[in-house]
Amino acid sequence: RGLRTCLISTNLRLIEESFRGIKQAIQAKDTLQNVTILSPSETLHGMKALDVCCMTKNLLAFYVDRVFKDHQELDPRILRKISSIANSFLYMQKTLQQCQRLCHCRQEATNATRIIHDNYAQLEVRSAAIKSLGELDIFLAWIEKNHQGTSAA
Amino acid sequence: VPCVSSGLPKPTNITFLSINMKNILQWNPPEGLHGAEITYTVQYFIYGQKKWLNKSECRNIHRTYCDLSDETSDYEHQYYAKVKAIWGMNCSKWAETGRFYPFLETQIGPPEVALTTDEKSISIVLTAPEKWKKNPEESSISMQQIYSNLKYNVSIYNTKSNRTWSQCVTNHTLVLSWLEPDTVYCVLVESLVPGPARLTRPSEKQCVSTLKDQTSELKVK
Repeated sequence: RGLRTCLISTNLRLIEESFRGIKQAIQAKDTLQNVTILSPSETLHGMKALDVCCMTKNLLAFYVDRVFKDHQELDPRILRKISSIANSFLYMQKTLQQCQRLCHCRQEATNATRIIHDNYAQLEVRSAAIKSLGELDIFLAWIEKNHQGTSAA
Repeated sequence: VPCVSSGLPKPTNITFLSINMKNILQWNPPEGLHGAEITYTVQYFIYGQKKWLNKSECRNIHRTYCDLSDETSDYEHQYYAKVKAIWGMNCSKWAETGRFYPFLETQIGPPEVALTTDEKSISIVLTAPEKWKKNPEESSISMQQIYSNLKYNVSIYNTKSNRTWSQCVTNHTLVLSWLEPDTVYCVLVESLVPGPARLTRPSEKQCVSTLKDQTSELKVK
């Protein structure tokens, strides 16, 4: 019982479109090409359906409670897009709260989440935030793949 | 002998052209050097790894493209590539791509389309495109295996009434019913994947005619 039963519906297209508008600018500011935060091959790619809900919840919290707070953006256009993504994530967090029973966390998801937070902590906070924002496409692609019923067509 | 990084202008418009995970790096020659004997050297980088890697088949080449499909075949990773121009002993600075994410950026090619007709119907059978593979002997991977939510947009054009309509289907067979007998219909199909918008490539237009209406033929006799 994967994410499908937890994430009722969210418009991934809107989030993807917002990200596309900032992808080039944000990724260009990330000059540390030899480091990743999400490390998908260690964290997301092997994730079992059973752990998808918890991992989504943890990653949403990572972005809402850490990344969006640590990032300082001067460009109003980019700031608007980031705010739109942040609001969508807050909405997704609310919908996930409605299925606490189905969203328990096993060690696998907890370990994967710790790797991400450890990666983040190893960088200067502004660099870490910029890099995490630049890796939003990895997270969004993972949500799309693990919850095809999510996006409004 | 390494070239000297001089004021030679960089190649421009460096991008990946990706179709079914066949990933070609392409660029334009540096501006203002028409007629000069320019060669190029390419390197690529796997995001999160440690260093830039050489592509030996794309060292000192005259062409303005380089096939990096093999080097970027793990489509869930992300990549960078860069190219520099060389003229005699001088070389330009590197021109670099943005971060390339094959899983989200590759264009999904059209399916194979097989049509069979009846008096008032056309049966369409679609076969999903295949992922790029290094050797023809390798077993094929269908793009459907990578994108399980792959859909098709089928456009149908009635050449007699000039009417066009389209249908979005997920399965591989489709029967168009209640058509006009003895009429030519043309079909075009595009592959679609929900997610960030991507460029699409429609199939070749295929036209077939529905059969003559046998009942009216009998009455005439």
